[in-house]
Amino acid sequence: MLEGHISRAFDGALASLHIRVVEMGGLVLDQVRETAAAYTEWLVAPAQHVLEREAEVNEYNTRLHEEQFTLIARRQPVAGDLRAIIAMSNVVHELERAGDEAKKIARTVVAQGARPGPATSRDVRHLGTLAVTLLRTALESFDRLDVVLAADVIAQDKELDEEYAAGLRRLMTRAMEDPRQVSVALEAAFALKSLERIGDHARNLARHVQSIGDSHPLPETVLSAGNSNRP
Amino acid sequence: MEAVTASDDPSRKRAGAELNLKPTGRVQPPTSLEHKAGDKTVGTYTVEDAVFACRDVNVFYGSKHALRNVNIDVARKQVLAMIGPSGCGKSTFLRCLNRMNDTIPGARVTGSIKLDGNDIQDPSQDVVQLRARVGMVFQKPNPFPKSIYDNVAYGPRIHGSTRSRADLDEIVCTSLQRAGLWDEVKDRLSKPGTGLSGGQQQRLCIARAIAIQPEVILMDEPCSALDPIATARVEDLIEVLRESYAIVIVTHSMQQAARVSQRTAYFHMGELIEVGETDRVFTNPRHRLTEDYITGRFG
Repeated sequence: MLEGHISRAFDGALASLHIRVVEMGGLVLDQVRETAAAYTEWLVAPAQHVLEREAEVNEYNTRLHEEQFTLIARRQPVAGDLRAIIAMSNVVHELERAGDEAKKIARTVVAQGARPGPATSRDVRHLGTLAVTLLRTALESFDRLDVVLAADVIAQDKELDEEYAAGLRRLMTRAMEDPRQVSVALEAAFALKSLERIGDHARNLARHVQSIGDSHPLPETVLSAGNSNRP
Repeated sequence: MEAVTASDDPSRKRAGAELNLKPTGRVQPPTSLEHKAGDKTVGTYTVEDAVFACRDVNVFYGSKHALRNVNIDVARKQVLAMIGPSGCGKSTFLRCLNRMNDTIPGARVTGSIKLDGNDIQDPSQDVVQLRARVGMVFQKPNPFPKSIYDNVAYGPRIHGSTRSRADLDEIVCTSLQRAGLWDEVKDRLSKPGTGLSGGQQQRLCIARAIAIQPEVILMDEPCSALDPIATARVEDLIEVLRESYAIVIVTHSMQQAARVSQRTAYFHMGELIEVGETDRVFTNPRHRLTEDYITGRFG
């Protein structure tokens, strides 16, 4: 945090909020990594674990929003402080939504329908790796308030979208080649879509990071020639 | 890229243990605003419909240079809030607008302060007439030790702006109504103004200021001696009054500036640092000093 509020308690509250948002991010990242792995290896136990920990994600979501409301009510922040708190609120929202997507994939695994074939597993593993990397980078950009890194995340999300489209095409091709695989392909398509959505949430998170530092560089037009107080 | 693998023991690890993120706890980028004191004033100081146009205003108290090269317009039917730490020059500037600094020995004002195009610094300017056009409300309510009626009627009487008692009654009634005080005092107009509560006294002072039909009302921390309810009433009154007058308010409460004003000017060590739409200044200030002050980093 840019320290130096006259009120050190306010500095502490903002720093604490930031740290807890990063903690929540870590939890969601674990959830995404674990759910993608559970799907590719078709293991119930880690998927079950993801479902159990979803409550923790929701708890973080609820608690952090309460803390943000309290901070706004008690401190009446303005300018950069207000932007930071609102952005952190939006980051928490994105993380909660990403956690929801991880939960959807875990449910599919726990249901143990028809096991996806090796090619499908490979696609999910690949997209899962991309989504985890993107989310991790987005969280790092938030933690360091690194707007350059945030811009990288936004750019990399396009790569994930392209991989998603390619994976979906391959999935459809395999389903057409063997109609018995349609139901598996359908579930796999949902899993791919969830991972693609997690990438979108990482991208949105990066945009919120940009908004924290969005102090609008001063346009020269504002400083008209006659606008100097020191002629 | 990090490979996705299933965990061996699903019950292990705390949240994000593998992340290796080291939370910095930083919530603002360190270099978001780069303007420093000594730069040009940030923001557009001119307005289209200016009642006051101030250019290169400097104020000296003896050898002390209290206000430096201030350029700013005051718009009609708008509230301009002036904020800044103690001693930054905001009250000094406010007092320039009705030549209150004339009363301070050793005070010297340079530059041009034009009210409707006429320089009020001109030696031929009648100061009494000026103060009839530019009313002032002070920090501490200061009703005269007279009746409520006489407090409001005082200005119109000395300026000779009424011809009959009926006219005066009308002005007193209208002024008290506009100040939101009529219903509370209409049955005790002959009672002393000093017997009213603090909030009522301040609204009486506002009624007294508007009784002479000024063009501009200056307010120097008008709510600092009032409780939150009385403050809310005065702020509500400011919102109503701005439909008719230009208002310049000096306040130490940034929330008050944000609530009541349309434009905000930030002063720092005798300089006008930033001026702009209040909505922008309080959400996206462009000067580092403004940001630091309104977010409570110094002041």
